[in-house]
Amino acid sequence: MGSSIKYLIKEGFRNMWANRLMSFASIGVLICCLVLMGSAAIISVNVSSMMEWLEDKNVVKVFLADSFNGTDEEKALMEAKIMGVGNIEDEMVFTSGEDAFASMLARLGNDSELVNSLSDTADILPDAYTLTIKDITRLNDTVALLGAIDGVYTVRSEQDLANTLTNINRFVSIVGALIVGLLFLVSMFIITNTIKLTMYVRRLEISIMKSVGATDWFIRMPFLVEGIFIGLISGIVSFGGISYVYLTVLNSVPEIAEYGVIPYSKIWLICLIGFLGAGILTGAVGSTISIRKYLHNDGGLNNV
Amino acid sequence: MIEFRNVYKTYDNGTKALKDFNLFIDEGEFVFIVGSSGAGKSTLLKILMREEVPNSGEVIVDGRRLSTLRHKDIPYYRRSMGMVFQDFRLIPNMTVFDNVAFAMRVTGASTRAVRKKVPYVLGLVGLNDKARCLPKELSGGEQQRVGLARALINNPSMIIADEPTGNVDPRMSFEIVDMLNEINRRGTTILMVTHEHALVKKFRRRIIEIQDGELVADSGPEVEYYGQ
Repeated sequence: MGSSIKYLIKEGFRNMWANRLMSFASIGVLICCLVLMGSAAIISVNVSSMMEWLEDKNVVKVFLADSFNGTDEEKALMEAKIMGVGNIEDEMVFTSGEDAFASMLARLGNDSELVNSLSDTADILPDAYTLTIKDITRLNDTVALLGAIDGVYTVRSEQDLANTLTNINRFVSIVGALIVGLLFLVSMFIITNTIKLTMYVRRLEISIMKSVGATDWFIRMPFLVEGIFIGLISGIVSFGGISYVYLTVLNSVPEIAEYGVIPYSKIWLICLIGFLGAGILTGAVGSTISIRKYLHNDGGLNNV
Repeated sequence: MIEFRNVYKTYDNGTKALKDFNLFIDEGEFVFIVGSSGAGKSTLLKILMREEVPNSGEVIVDGRRLSTLRHKDIPYYRRSMGMVFQDFRLIPNMTVFDNVAFAMRVTGASTRAVRKKVPYVLGLVGLNDKARCLPKELSGGEQQRVGLARALINNPSMIIADEPTGNVDPRMSFEIVDMLNEINRRGTTILMVTHEHALVKKFRRRIIEIQDGELVADSGPEVEYYGQ
């Protein structure tokens, strides 16, 4: 058994070399598909990451009514009411009207006339909570609920921007998934046909195998090894190519790292596993489908 | 050993290949199967190889009913027979040694067993010195001897030769049938389809003639040439 497996694996490599032009074509086709699929997946993942980054920046300010005195009891009660709305990150920052005013004064500069004219009215600004929204897609509902809380004067948020970003995220996710799915099917189709063609070229060999009593497993194995190896090579080359492009972009425009683009160090392993896995899976499944179909429909003893 | 009982075979296109076909071949016999093109000889071989299944009737080989043979058992059944083809069917990019070894590998034989047995069988067909040659470097007769070695390598109980002399010169044809005779003398059943009356006449073995899917003549075992 061990000797057979060793022989069949060797046969798989030998066949690949003997039909190197066809193998080269298969590898080329698979690389194209993997690069396209990988690019779509990486872009989609990065857009999602950028969305998360934007969501982190998605701050909502809840301004409190004048009746709010800022005692500890009132604060605890208000914070409980705000958290009760849901979709709010645990950490919220309270800024009293006085602190906000002082901060404004600092920004404007102490020596301005405008500041002096305002210095007697330190309570001009309301107390406020600064919150971070968890799920940006539910921003509208959350803002409405926050506004309805008793004691809340008004709520300020970038609803239009959030809505636009949500739509972009949704679009990228759906289109990304569709592209990946479609390209997977296309690559399967191409690999299946390429291996079918290889099998047609080797129909003499298959008919001889069948006539001398080879089991379907024995006939399939070299093709499976070939498919897996084609997938493996394609996966490695695609990974190398995509990594090079990704690193080049990151090095050329380093600023994008600040906007949520995933660093290479965090993505390379997943990419490597993904490319190798997708390559091997496509090669293996493609060859299995082709040989199964061929053996079932055309692979007669005299079909040479 | 081989029995056809009231076998009918009609293909999807309506061609009636075998009609109420009955035949019994005993173990160790050498049988020539003759008949014009389209007579049903190929269908007979395909049914024996379990590549085709009769529409009705029964085919029994070594006690196995072929119609009830499970798909997964067919390869093991085929290992009990060796096939020799008119067009040799050698793999062009494999050496003589590998072409013969290939049939042994299929059965799961170890590398050691292959290295031991292939030279022995190549010796039987007189091709030990050609082991490293590619098929294209051999004459037609030599290629057919490789085919014969491949058919013999798994010690089959029966050899089916489908016009094995069709692509070789007359002198080599006699040599090949001589080899089949020798193999038969060691107890292997031989079924040989041929169009060459000269061979049939010379070797004086059982002759079965098929016409339009029916067995029209059976000389019986080891008789004088029935056409005389």
